[in-house]
Amino acid sequence: MEKTIETIWKEGFIKNDALVAPKLNDLYNQKSIDIVEKFKRMYKLNRIGIAAFALIIIPLSYATRMIYMGVPMCLLFVAVSFIAYKYSTQLNNIDKNKSSYEYLSTFDAWVKDMVSLNSRLSTFMYPYIFIAMALGFWHIDIEGNTLGNMFLNGFIAEFPTTYVIAGFPALLAIPFILIIAVLAFFGGKIGKWDINLVYGRIINRLDDLLSDMKELRQ
Amino acid sequence: MSNDFYTTQILPYAAIIIKICRAYTDTQEDFEDYYQEVCLQIWRSKDNFKEQSAWSTWIYRLSLNVCLTFLKKKKNNKQNASTDILPDEVLVDSRAFPDESLNELYKAIKQLSEIDRGVILLYLEEKPYQEIADIMGTNTNNIGVRIKRIKERLKKILNQSH
Repeated sequence: MEKTIETIWKEGFIKNDALVAPKLNDLYNQKSIDIVEKFKRMYKLNRIGIAAFALIIIPLSYATRMIYMGVPMCLLFVAVSFIAYKYSTQLNNIDKNKSSYEYLSTFDAWVKDMVSLNSRLSTFMYPYIFIAMALGFWHIDIEGNTLGNMFLNGFIAEFPTTYVIAGFPALLAIPFILIIAVLAFFGGKIGKWDINLVYGRIINRLDDLLSDMKELRQ
Repeated sequence: MSNDFYTTQILPYAAIIIKICRAYTDTQEDFEDYYQEVCLQIWRSKDNFKEQSAWSTWIYRLSLNVCLTFLKKKKNNKQNASTDILPDEVLVDSRAFPDESLNELYKAIKQLSEIDRGVILLYLEEKPYQEIADIMGTNTNNIGVRIKRIKERLKKILNQSH
């Protein structure tokens, strides 16, 4: 009697050697390249975003009459973008001919270095952004007078006995300095959080893959 | 290697991947490429697995999608490489399976359309119609009619080859 297709299928796969999975010699290599390439794409996109922001912030701040904020912010973003570009050249120099483990380890070291640099920069960056924003708001021109002067006049009228340092009331200077100090203190942490928000998932995958490969090597 | 994703999450389901990849490839080299690509895609997409279906169903779906995409790419490359129309030759690697009848069946399956190949593979794996319909993105009535038609076609092809 002729066999049905169902029987051919069942009987054919009963033989043990019918289903031999091919070896995946290159899987880790492909995974490594995949993870690094993905990171590179994200990093490049981020860099382009920062550079684009540096470009548009000048006309934007001019339009909103906050040029005192726009210029320092533009300088900051140009500097950040330049540093990121310099760093990315190092990333491109990682030798792809190394073994997958060495390739990923070098990449991992680069990521850690980048995160550490970003944390250090953030210590200065966030207070700088705060000062730039304060400057921007302070110098907004309202009918020939600046918002800062109007605020200052109102403040001195309210607290006429306040101690003044270089034309600036101490009562205002203290919270201002305090905010800068807090931002400088937590800047590194904010920077790390920021990096984690963008690259956290890929960094975690990298850690998993590296520990997997470490185990495989043992 | 206890926490190796491949060993624990893919290898136990390798049979599914092998059966599907064999149906979409003609040579051992292609088969290994497709198998590798499916494994890589499973690894890449593992975070997208939402546990709304069984892991094995998800692997079926992903394997089929990868094979169909790979086949499409290959066809495009062939079309770009040559303007000649290639004959519809069906090749079966002699090392594919030790069972001759199974090789003949695979040869017949490869003469089906790409979608029909997916449907019949799932049917032969005794997947319920509902699951096949879910994987193929259609309804059970359609699957029922389609399977009947595919089986008749396979029977015809196998009879012709004997």
